[in-house]
Amino acid sequence: MIPNSFEYSAPASLSEALGLIAAGGKPLGGGMSLIPMMKLRLAAPEHLVDIGRLTELSYIRESAEGIHIGAGCTHFAVESSALLMGKCPLIAETANYIGDIQVRNMGTIGGSVAHADPAADYPAALQALEATIVLKSAKKERKVSAAKFFIDTFTTALKEDEIVSEIIVPLEAGLTGTSYQKFLQPASGFAIVGVAARARREGGKISLIRVGVTGLSGNSFRATKVEAALLGSAGTDAEVTAAAAHATDGADASSDLHASAEYRAHLARIYTARAISAALSRTA
Amino acid sequence: MKVTGARELPIKPERAWELLQDPAVLSKAIPGCQSLVRIGENQYELKLKMLLASLSGDFLGKVTLTDHEAPTKFRMIVEGSGKIGFLKGEGVLTLSSILQGTEVAYDGEAQIGGKMASVGQRLVDTTAKLMIKRFFKKLVKQGFGQDPDVEDEEETDDV
Amino acid sequence: MATTTTPTTTKTEKYVGQRLRRREDPRFITGTATYVEDIKLPGAYYAGMVRSPHGAAKIRSIDVSKALARPGVIAVYTGQDTKNVGGVICGADLPGLRKPHHYILAVDRVYFPGHPVAVVVATDKYIAADAADDIEVDYEVTQAVTHPEKALAPGAPAVHPEWPDNTAFVFHQVGGDPDKAFAEAEVIVKQRITSQRLVANPMETRGVVADWRAADRTLHIHTSTQIPHLARTLLSIMLGLEENRVHLVAPMVGGGFGCKLNVYAEEAIVAFVSMKLNKPVKWIETRRENFMTTIQGRGHVDYYELAAKKDGTVTGIKLKLIQDLGAYHQLLTPAIPTLSVLMMPGLYNVRNIKAEVVGVFTNCVPTDAYRGAGRPEATHGIERMMDILAAELKMDPAELRRKNFVGKDQFPFATATGLNYDSGDYAATLDKAMQISDYAGLRKQQVEARKQGRLMGIGLSTYGEICAMGPSPATPAGGWESATVRIEPSGKVTVLTGISPHGQGEETTFAQIAADELGVHVDDITVIHGDTAIVQYGIGTFGSRGTAVGGTAVYIALQDLKDKITRWGAMFLNSEDVHFAGGVVTDNKTGQTVALGTIAAAAYRAMKLPPGMDPGLMATKFFEPSNFTYPFGAHIVVSEIDPATGQIEIRRYVAVDDIGNILNPLIVDGQLHGGVAQGLGQALWENAVYDDNGQLITGEFMDYAMPKASTMPWIESAHTCTPSPVNPLGVKGVGEAGTIGSTPAMVNSVVDALSHLGVRHIDMPLTPEKIWKLVSTHAGSQAA
Repeated sequence: MIPNSFEYSAPASLSEALGLIAAGGKPLGGGMSLIPMMKLRLAAPEHLVDIGRLTELSYIRESAEGIHIGAGCTHFAVESSALLMGKCPLIAETANYIGDIQVRNMGTIGGSVAHADPAADYPAALQALEATIVLKSAKKERKVSAAKFFIDTFTTALKEDEIVSEIIVPLEAGLTGTSYQKFLQPASGFAIVGVAARARREGGKISLIRVGVTGLSGNSFRATKVEAALLGSAGTDAEVTAAAAHATDGADASSDLHASAEYRAHLARIYTARAISAALSRTA
Repeated sequence: MKVTGARELPIKPERAWELLQDPAVLSKAIPGCQSLVRIGENQYELKLKMLLASLSGDFLGKVTLTDHEAPTKFRMIVEGSGKIGFLKGEGVLTLSSILQGTEVAYDGEAQIGGKMASVGQRLVDTTAKLMIKRFFKKLVKQGFGQDPDVEDEEETDDV
Repeated sequence: MATTTTPTTTKTEKYVGQRLRRREDPRFITGTATYVEDIKLPGAYYAGMVRSPHGAAKIRSIDVSKALARPGVIAVYTGQDTKNVGGVICGADLPGLRKPHHYILAVDRVYFPGHPVAVVVATDKYIAADAADDIEVDYEVTQAVTHPEKALAPGAPAVHPEWPDNTAFVFHQVGGDPDKAFAEAEVIVKQRITSQRLVANPMETRGVVADWRAADRTLHIHTSTQIPHLARTLLSIMLGLEENRVHLVAPMVGGGFGCKLNVYAEEAIVAFVSMKLNKPVKWIETRRENFMTTIQGRGHVDYYELAAKKDGTVTGIKLKLIQDLGAYHQLLTPAIPTLSVLMMPGLYNVRNIKAEVVGVFTNCVPTDAYRGAGRPEATHGIERMMDILAAELKMDPAELRRKNFVGKDQFPFATATGLNYDSGDYAATLDKAMQISDYAGLRKQQVEARKQGRLMGIGLSTYGEICAMGPSPATPAGGWESATVRIEPSGKVTVLTGISPHGQGEETTFAQIAADELGVHVDDITVIHGDTAIVQYGIGTFGSRGTAVGGTAVYIALQDLKDKITRWGAMFLNSEDVHFAGGVVTDNKTGQTVALGTIAAAAYRAMKLPPGMDPGLMATKFFEPSNFTYPFGAHIVVSEIDPATGQIEIRRYVAVDDIGNILNPLIVDGQLHGGVAQGLGQALWENAVYDDNGQLITGEFMDYAMPKASTMPWIESAHTCTPSPVNPLGVKGVGEAGTIGSTPAMVNSVVDALSHLGVRHIDMPLTPEKIWKLVSTHAGSQAA
């Protein structure tokens, strides 16, 4: 619980921070993953650049493109944002499931997304929302879809000199219902599986369905087979259950002390059905 | 922990076998390998730097290739220890010809110990799988004469 | 000396029985309490431990050169340097017990992951940690064995090479004629029941500050302990010091749960270093070290058999108890499972018992006392077996229990295990719990739920425990307790207690007792504990003894003191016919009074003394209990299981506890709530898991699941009251009750929810995956 020594910078501006990061500094958000790793001496960055305090990265605002969530927003800011609760409730609901109140008060959306823990909550919602991740370096800014951003266990599209600067989530149209359902690991509060569903029904038929899954395997993913099976259907319980059986198609389920691969896969199917049913019930 | 699975490689079995026995190729395929120096018949000293998320750790250990049944089957043992703990992976790799090239089936055990074991339990399985994935990817790239350390650009595209 | 006095406030209302807020809390809530970490001595060095990452290995060599070369590093010591320091002491004894010498630093082998092999001393803790990383230990790893049954198997690796069977002791106890009972039994039920290893996890980890003052040849130690005086005695033995030259303080202690009822290697290591360097030295255990190297609890594999008549009368119990001891004996390690044997019959009138306890060495950290210590295991065992027997006989589990209870007219009741239950009315707690929960209504709901395919369970446990430890002949280090009550010259009152509260709230409850006895305001009382230079010798806090033994010592010291006050009053009033009440001595004839404050001032001024009296006004008393106390209760858990996932929901939790008289209901609630949380923790979540290679794989809160406020049910708590005749306060003890009652009630509830599917037993923790697998495999095999 005693870290190696390190240099710490708290830059006053984003551009200053990006310069320090380009020079090899490691960005620090809320520190909910990095600091414990450092205290256990599993990580020993030489220079921490604290971007969690930058007001420049702390905003939630609406534009024609969608809702922009600054990377520095805490999970609490996300879960309690009236704008998000009204216009993109899935991301607010998901934030509410993260860790505990202390973690939500400290941890940031940018830090969590950049860390890409295979059992983190946000990735499920970001996959289902087809969100855009804005990456920024001292040199340039680029946008990457969630589907392309999350590459594998702790592996993302981020380059060494880049940070996640913003998440853009869509403004949901009127008849869209969403839900995040999570089976949590009792020690850490991480997801054993977490499923985010987003659905629209028009004329009694499902016209849009997106399902994002986290925790099941080494990476979050869109359960496209489930989506394909439901698109155009009425979304009856039987149809949802049948479609949810495809949630694990092609996924290499993880196994640990808390859930075997078999059980995790089973939970993924159950929670996929539950998330979709809940989302559909909110389309009315 | 059991580590079993199979991967399809788009190369011929003979070529795959060759690659898997070549220390120069292995040194570029083993994720984080800093050096692989021959210390005996099919035995190499391994220096490894594991980098994953913010985790980093140096390991010193050994790679042993044994129980050869050329050109289809051999045993690979990778072991190392460092400040953050120790690891040992041992398994039999079986190569078979398939339409797409080669299927490499692996069946073995992975053990970790020390700090990594007592604090990283939930990530052992996913991490082992990631490392195996990276290993074969870097192996195949070398089979095609590509630089294993250059990331594919198609992995990320800008929207 | 000043003779002016402040009149002591007098009060007639009784404090005992009131929900007084804990006077300890402001310092905890405002972060101003002084823990070991807050002891900052000028020029202190910091110690860091180098620990084995292996469960079993030989040490080939240790290279400390790199560490010594690091700026700020003062010294490094290894097992070679400390091997002449006395070993860690085990205070328990059993016939034929094998006691491995427990060096404070490993000498040539390591026996469990976390075993300390070297200590680094540096000018600050960061340098100490860096230098600990610099030390290179060359290990020859050998095969570890981490499960007690595997350790007993032929050919298992020997934890201690000198004892290849890994058996530390075998202990037998027989009461009545168990063989006859089993031969004549109409029904016999058998079950293997495990009680997993648990980490105590106090909020404050261990920590030591040792300060050797060479000029005075005295050692001053601050350590996070439940037993300051015993720790001083044991450390002086280990270090070869005269006991009166060791001053030990337990400052505020942030929880112990039994794991600080111990003297650890690190306490001696830090003292050794301080003596070597003539400097104060501090060591604070990290959370990771706490998981690996502080004693763990439980660790049983039990084989139970119950003999019964068809009408449900239990006639005999057999138990083979395999105790995972870990690699060494800590203070009480081998004694803990013997407490399970004593508690075997629970609340039932079973005359024939037979127990065999096998203590097994494993390459794990030692087990020892953890909240309940032996009694939760026994209670879980018998309460599970009662449910299994009820299912076998198709009897209601409540009815079966009632049939076997020791009757309320049978007290004092001599058990087949040699105990003497003090008092009780077991049926009354069960009746009350059944009434509060509407047990009959719940059973009807369960029938309906099953018709709908829902899995609803009703589980109960009727538990008893052995508390107020205890009569000295029955305890390893004396079981009495001490108290001094001193009226200061100003009339204010100081209470010195030999117990060492670390969350139990006795600064409040003892003040309540003293305020009532002296008739003064509770704020006039100060309670001091934990400092061997201030407090007379005491035993400490464990085994639900604080109030029942330590509080009684305070009470009897007060009686002595009241007698002295009365004699002082008689002198003042020049009358023999006086009495002391409400803070004043009153002449029964004239009604004239003299206040305590006046008496106190005069007692210290000592111008004139009553015949035979010394100056000053104080009394010291030692209370030797004649027996343990035996609290009991009935807990009912209503659960519902999600058949699709195995997830367990606690719908209701009803607890009826009889702990004798209650001094402070608020503190009692807190103790019960905390106890229930820890008991549910074992039932549902907690598990210290070692893999076969000797690695503790739940070595952090990331994987070791603790109960949390958000995962706790609302507890519907009620009491019955059967005062204990063992002490004048009539109290029994409440520190462990919740932990003991809750675990089997929870497990019984979940097994009950699945019983119609043919499920008879589930080992803890009840993970959703286990439940899901049972539901999946038993679905369709629904019993009639």
